[in-house]
This record gives sequence, structure tokens and C-alpha cells, in this order.
Amino acid sequence: MLEGLHYFVAGIVDLLSWGAIFNVLWATLLGISIGMLPGLTATLGLALLTTLTFKLAAGDAILILICMYVGSIYGGSRSGILLNIPGTPANAATTLDGFPLARAGLAGKAMGIATAGSVLGTVIGMIFLALFAPLLAEWALSFQTYEFFWLAVFGVVVSGRLTGLDDPLKGWISGFLGLLVAMVGQESIHAYARFAYGNTNLAGGFGLLPVLVGVFGFTEILWVMKNPAYEAVKNATDSVIPKLREVFRYWATIIRSGVIGTFAGLIPGVGEDIGAWVSYAVARNISRERDQFGQGSIEGLMSAETGNSAAVPGAIIPTLTLAIPGSAPAAVLLAALYIHGVRPGPLIMIENPSFVFEVVAMVLFATLAILFYGLLLTKPLLLILRVPYLRLMPIIFVLCVVGSYAITSRLFDVWVMLGFGVLGFVLRQLSFPMAPLVLGVVLGPILDVSLRRGLVLSDGNLAPFFTRPISLVLWILILVTFLMSSGRFVKWVQGLGQRMFDRGT
Amino acid sequence: MPVIARRDLYTSLVFIAFGVGVVVESLRMPRFENLGVNSYTVPGIVPGVVGATIALLAGVMLLRSLRRLQPGGDLESGPLAEGSTRRLLLTLTVTLAYGGLLVGLLPFWLATFLFVTTFIVLFEWRGGQARGRLGRTVAVALLEGVLVAAAVTFVFERIFLVRLP
Repeated sequence: MLEGLHYFVAGIVDLLSWGAIFNVLWATLLGISIGMLPGLTATLGLALLTTLTFKLAAGDAILILICMYVGSIYGGSRSGILLNIPGTPANAATTLDGFPLARAGLAGKAMGIATAGSVLGTVIGMIFLALFAPLLAEWALSFQTYEFFWLAVFGVVVSGRLTGLDDPLKGWISGFLGLLVAMVGQESIHAYARFAYGNTNLAGGFGLLPVLVGVFGFTEILWVMKNPAYEAVKNATDSVIPKLREVFRYWATIIRSGVIGTFAGLIPGVGEDIGAWVSYAVARNISRERDQFGQGSIEGLMSAETGNSAAVPGAIIPTLTLAIPGSAPAAVLLAALYIHGVRPGPLIMIENPSFVFEVVAMVLFATLAILFYGLLLTKPLLLILRVPYLRLMPIIFVLCVVGSYAITSRLFDVWVMLGFGVLGFVLRQLSFPMAPLVLGVVLGPILDVSLRRGLVLSDGNLAPFFTRPISLVLWILILVTFLMSSGRFVKWVQGLGQRMFDRGT
Repeated sequence: MPVIARRDLYTSLVFIAFGVGVVVESLRMPRFENLGVNSYTVPGIVPGVVGATIALLAGVMLLRSLRRLQPGGDLESGPLAEGSTRRLLLTLTVTLAYGGLLVGLLPFWLATFLFVTTFIVLFEWRGGQARGRLGRTVAVALLEGVLVAAAVTFVFERIFLVRLP
């Protein structure tokens, strides 16, 4: 614990340089801008910035990416409140109470509350990151290949279930499709080029960043161009600085939403949007002001923004300690860590223990930056929303092309981006969610190697996959996730419970 | 009108065919018996399992769609997403032309300038506009084209030292 504190303080001291502070300020501002603009997601922003910063020193690049991540999740609240359109999916719950407040002439107050919620949520998540990441890394040292196989499956299944809320079946198909995409190219055990058909480019596989940029960038551009533009901006004329009394009146909601958000981020594949929705739903169920929710409830707005922001450090926890991303933007962060020579995983506390606490320090600085921008520069920042989206779309597409090309300098990666953009658009039209597909692409190699290695170790015996303690918990959770999606099964369980209750009385 | 159920029906058939195709291709992958490789590490195992899972899930979706299409089945109503197909096709044409053709054939700055200018003119030009208005649109498009091409080239190549296509 004391060692961790020492590393944390050392991390803060390292960041107290003009260069680092400059990076914090511009990266957070860029993140807020990207988050504010509907059509641009945190994942896309991170993917593009990863390619932009890949020649920089590892410390600078990771700092920039974390500031971008925190900033973009926060920035989406602006458009959610003013336009009733979430800037990123993580801010969807924010619109429910943020927009009614804006309509009532309290846009400034709403943005101040959103800022307070985001800052406090990030701080709560940051505390969990500092305390739990080292513990999880130590526990994960007992994971073997069987556990990593089930973790990969769990990530895809849970992501599919929670992002395909109306239709988990489509979420799962999307996730397994992502796993298959990861199978294209040379596999790591025998170097056999799967699904390459003699093509050298296909033998290299589909790069994660071009796929991400295609699915979150090009697909979004096509979607925005097909569908009507968003309305004109409202102005915020009231004060954006929230009253402390008003914020801390809901201290229980803040802490509860922070914890829920952190755990939502912690679960692989489940990210900031679920953190916001679950925090909001729980706050509404428990609140004494339940009837205010959806009409401009401060508590509702606070819970949504605290939940989504706490999920950011929450998602970083499994990314660092298990090398399994907690959310789609965290998947990009994972790719960036590998690019810059950091090896995330259970050994991180042994090989590079100070790094985890340096990341905590980076999250702290990003939080201070969003507090600064949120309270002091809210009104100037609103100018960003006045940029006509038609002028913005070609610029974003140019960045998508450059971003896809930058890492490996292959035009093939640009074509991959185009192809996945079109595929993503078609799937989205058919109501298939994209987040499980991306997660599948990230987890595919882990699943592939873990399954085959596990079968070799057990000599074809499937028992260890099902009987080892942690594996047992994971596959039961996966089974329950599948079964609870079936309406018939849920009714059967409820019927069984009712019959047992009747017998008991 | 069970629009979504019928759409899901066709989609599930496509995914079943795709999943079965993946399984077939996985079975055709080499097993390296002559090299004495452990059979549990052959390349086709994992794609085969994943392909079979996709086919299975799509099969469940097929059954569900058939149930929904029957009289008395639960129907989801709701139109397909509205929007302009014309704008979509235009966007696809321009973006695919830039990303798939121009980049790599022309210098990046020129391809980018042409793309940005064309994009803005195409989408901001309205038929029957006054000449002055059209002239202003073209001027803004040209300016933005030059600025974007210059800024992206400069920032990426000179400041961040990233290679451009």
C-alpha cells in the first residue's frame, strides 16, 4: 500500500512539467470536443489519436490517450443536455434529465451538475483503480489458460447481452463474428495463414485499429449522412457553477453510482453506457424523488454522469491487469499500450509496478482538466456545436484514412477500414450492435490460443475447462446470461419460485 | 407488416450459410499429421467452433423469425430507419473513390483537397441556387479543401512524424 502511494506521488511529480500539463490540456480539450459532437465517439477519437501519437514517448502518448478518453466521455454530456442527442452512447441516459432542464432554462445548471458528477465519478473510479488493480493483478496470477479462455467468451457474451438489450441474439452473433474476424491471418502456433487464399495482405490479418476506425468512424459518417442532421444549438444563459450544497445533497447517489459505474467498466466488454444506465435505473428505483426522473431531476442527471465517468477508470482496471479491455475505448487503449511497449496483464505489478499508479496520476490530471474546462470554459466550448456537421464529415473521413494507414503503412489497411465501415453500416441497419464485434476482434487471439493450449495441456480432456474453480464460476455465469435472455426460461424460473413459495406458506 | 421479422429471416439465412461455410473451410485446413503436430493445436479448431456457433445462433434467429411471421405470432412493427438513400449513395461513392482510388494514385495533399472540395460542393449545393450563392459555396469548399489538405499533411508528417498514404 505504501509502495503504491510512493509510486502515485512520483507519478504526480513526473506530470508536473510544462510539457505534460500542455499535453493534458490539449488532449482533454480535444476529447471534450470529440465527445460533444454527435457522430464522433470516444473509441474513434482514441483510435485516431493512437495513430497520431505512435511516434511519441510511451508516457506522453498514454497520458494523451487517457485525457482524451476521460474528456470524450464527459464531453458528450454537453450535446446530451443542449441537443437531446448524446455526444457519445455513454451519455444517452444524460439526455433524459439534462434536456428537460435545458428546456426549462437551466442548461447552465445542468452542465454544472454534469461536470460535478463526471469529476466525482472519475475520482471514485480512480480510487478503485489504485486499490483494486494491484489486487486483481495478483489474483490473476492464478489464472491459467482455461480461465483466460472463459474470460474471453464471457466478455463477448456479456457484451452481446448488454449492448443488444432489445435483441441479445444479434449482440452474440456480432460478438462471434468479431472473434472470426480475428482468426483471419497467420495464427500464432503454426504460423498457418487462415482464410488468406494466397493473398499476402490477408495473411497479415485485419489490424485492430483499421477495423475500429471503420466500424466506429466510417460507419458513423455513413449513418450521419443518411439520417437527418441535429437541431440548432440552444444557449446556456444561467450559471454553470453548481451549488456545493446541491451536489452533496445527493452524496449517497454519487457514491452508489460511482461504485456501479466502476464495476460496469470492470466487466469486460461492458462499458460507460451500461454504467450510466444501471446507475440511473438504481437511483430512480431508490430515490424519494422518483417522479422527478425524466422531468429534469438533478439526482437523475448526477447518477447518469457519475456512472459513465466512473466506468472509465473501471474499464482501465482489467485492461492493465488482465490485458482484457473493459470497454470499446479501453480496447483501443490496450492496443496503444502494446504499441508503446507496455505489457499489460497479470505480470504488470511484477514487471512494471509503478505504471499502474502512473496511470492513476494521469486519470487525476484528466479529472482536474475536465473540472477546469467544465466550470470555466463551458460557454466558449459551446461554439464547437455550431460547426455545421457537413463541413466536419469530410475532415473526419480524411483522419480515418490517415489513421488506418499510419501504423503499418499499408494501403490494404485503408481498404479494411472501408470494408468494415460498409459492413458495420449494413449490420447497424439490421440492428446488430457494433461493440461486441470490436470486442470479439480484440479477444479472438486470446480465445484462440487459450483453447488450443488448454486442450494440449489437458490432452483433449474438457474436464479442466469446467471443473477448475474460477472456470466453473465463469462458465456458469455465461450459461446464466444465455438462459436469462430467454423469456420462457425466466417465466419457468418465476413459476418455480412461486410454487415453492406457495408450498412454504 | 412484419418488416423486421422478414428482414431477420433473410439475415439469419445468410449467417447460417456463412457459418456453415466457415466450418467447411476450417475442416479443409491442414492438420500437419506428417509433422507430428498435436491434433488439438490444428489451425481449424477454433474457427470451426466459432463458425458453428454463428450458424447455431443464426438458426435460433431463423426459428424465431418464422414464429413471428406466422399469424398470431408476435409482430414487431416499425419502419426501417428513415433517411436519404440518395445522400448515402453519394457519400459512399465519394468516400470510396477517395479512400479506395485517389489515395495511393495521387499525392495525398491533392487527393485530400479534391475529396474535401467535392464533398462540400456536392452536399451544400442546392439545385436552382442563385449564382452568387453557388459561388460562395464553391469558394468555401475550395478554402476548406486547401486548409484541410495543408493542415493534415503538416500536422501528421512534420509534427507527429506519421507517414501519410
